[in-house]
Amino acid sequence: MTAPLRVLLAGFGGLGTQDHQRRMYLPAFLAHPGFTVAAVAGDGPDDERTAAGLGVPYHDGLDAALAAGDAEVVSVCRPLGARAGAVEAALRAGRHVLADKPLAATAAECDAIEAAARKSGTVCLPAHHHRFGQAVRSAAAALAGGRVGLPWNIQADFLAAGGDPCPDGELANFGVYPVDVLQALTGLPVRRVHARLHGPAGAERSAVLLMDHDHGLTSTVTVGRTPAAADGPMAVHTYRVSGTSGVLTVDAAKPAATVRTAGARRGVWHGPDTVALLLTELYQAITTGRPAEIGPADAGAALRVIEAARRSAAAGAPVETDGETG
Amino acid sequence: MERDSTTIGILVVGTGFIAEQHAAAIAASPRARLAGLVDISPARAAAASRANGGVRWSTDLSEALAWPDVDACVVCTPNDTHTGIATEIAEAGRHLLIEKPLATTVAGARQITGAFAAAGRVLMPAHTHRCYDYARTVKDAVESGRIGTPEVLRLAILGGWIWPDWRGWMLDPVRSGGHALHNGVHLLDLAAWWTGDRPETVYARGRRQTAAELEIYDYLEMVVGFAGGATAVCEMSRGHRPTRYARREMLVSGDAGLLTLPWDGEAGEVVDDAGTALLPPGGADGFAVQMAAFLSAVDGAPPLVTGDDGLLAVAMGVAAERSIATGEPVAVAEMLQAAA
Repeated sequence: MTAPLRVLLAGFGGLGTQDHQRRMYLPAFLAHPGFTVAAVAGDGPDDERTAAGLGVPYHDGLDAALAAGDAEVVSVCRPLGARAGAVEAALRAGRHVLADKPLAATAAECDAIEAAARKSGTVCLPAHHHRFGQAVRSAAAALAGGRVGLPWNIQADFLAAGGDPCPDGELANFGVYPVDVLQALTGLPVRRVHARLHGPAGAERSAVLLMDHDHGLTSTVTVGRTPAAADGPMAVHTYRVSGTSGVLTVDAAKPAATVRTAGARRGVWHGPDTVALLLTELYQAITTGRPAEIGPADAGAALRVIEAARRSAAAGAPVETDGETG
Repeated sequence: MERDSTTIGILVVGTGFIAEQHAAAIAASPRARLAGLVDISPARAAAASRANGGVRWSTDLSEALAWPDVDACVVCTPNDTHTGIATEIAEAGRHLLIEKPLATTVAGARQITGAFAAAGRVLMPAHTHRCYDYARTVKDAVESGRIGTPEVLRLAILGGWIWPDWRGWMLDPVRSGGHALHNGVHLLDLAAWWTGDRPETVYARGRRQTAAELEIYDYLEMVVGFAGGATAVCEMSRGHRPTRYARREMLVSGDAGLLTLPWDGEAGEVVDDAGTALLPPGGADGFAVQMAAFLSAVDGAPPLVTGDDGLLAVAMGVAAERSIATGEPVAVAEMLQAAA
């Protein structure tokens, strides 16, 4: 194995109170043999302390960190309004990027990021980590192999349990995950969306998305947040694919063992979790030079579906999607 | 036969396969007595009579309604005959347990509810799923407040058994009203019952999966929007493959908790040379529970399912069929008003 890739942690923000950098990506980078955390670009004393704790240089702001040149990979977790700009700046500086989801506030911003990535020739991987889960990958391979014939319907549930409600709404927060998994499973663009939101639009607790894809495939996604539960942060994450010759159901929380203790029942991944698998994809794309499985265009495709869902919910009727959705 | 004033005499009208379950529920009840059978086919009626101890039978509903010990009827004839038959029963002053859907049109359902209101007799549409243990469990969990106010509901009954051949009237949308009316109303009724809320819209998608020549949608996905904001995704399928596929899955996500009832949540699993299957789930006999509820209603208790519940289910089913045709959500109130 070559020397680990050096990672710059750029930002510790997200939607609302989210800090995926500290909670998800930093532990995963520390645990992954392909990476080493080399620097921090932050916004103040908390972030400076994080850098000190890691024993790595601290830079005040992304521009200074990129100029210092002590990392090949930038892990971007900026608040959504500043995220696309940070991703583009890192790409322009010739860095590879791992970007928290959603990659940008709008699909149009994803298009600009796609153009920047093409120009830089570096990897830009949106953190749609659920498509890299072992159960989802196995299901995608089975479908691609014709195991249930031609798929004609998919029903998906993505219900997180507990945690802070996202002030921008759970459709913006979680929506791209199951929509992206549907792409991984079928490869079929979404042409029409009908959506119902629960709770105030823009701060909705949950949503139901009813999608029409090419070849008559229909899909339905429920996505949102349920109250905290004793069995961990994910209540339900499943996909049922009905095909012309069979039915395939996937519990995306597998492979896992179940550990029961007083008052709690937790699934414990066996094998790498989805974030570790995401980092492996990043590592392999960078070190082999092959394209990553997904890039900014895929993030834009998922966001176009979310944007169509918002238009549909406002109109109370199905709407056509606008642009590439798969 | 001497009139037996301690039991309720029940005439079963229509002797197809579902009639056997109603007759068994009557036979199992100490409060009911099978008073006779009616079928337009003398062969079917006679055969059903022999299977039920030689009980008298007729091909003429009017004649049978004149028998002195008939207090109530169970109607299990093809769906498009319900309005005429139910109206005649109301006018004869008998109580009625009638197979779902109450009628194939909202106007027909309204005619029936109006006739029973005028006659002052009990009308109970047989939304039998309300009598199954699983549905009562969900209803109880919601009513207890443990999961809070429902926000997202999933109801799926998926199978691969399409009715035997092209002679089955269920495949004829004129006779059955379409699959949303014939089977879909089970789930539409459950969703309304569980939430206790008013359904506002139905957005539905349908497929003719088993054969391109089907005139009904053997796979239905009916999405109900409720006045309080909740959404119910109701899937009813006879189009899944392999044909032995059978799944019932329920999920209710509320603002205080989550209820899930997975397909294998009710019984043991058996793996044999035919594949993997579930053992029969024990528990209460839904038809017996339903018959008991009907008999109690005849004795003055509130009916478990009202005529208006049946009317609403028909309006939702009609809205689902309309939505599949137009590709747009359909307002349930418009379906109800159109026929008012």
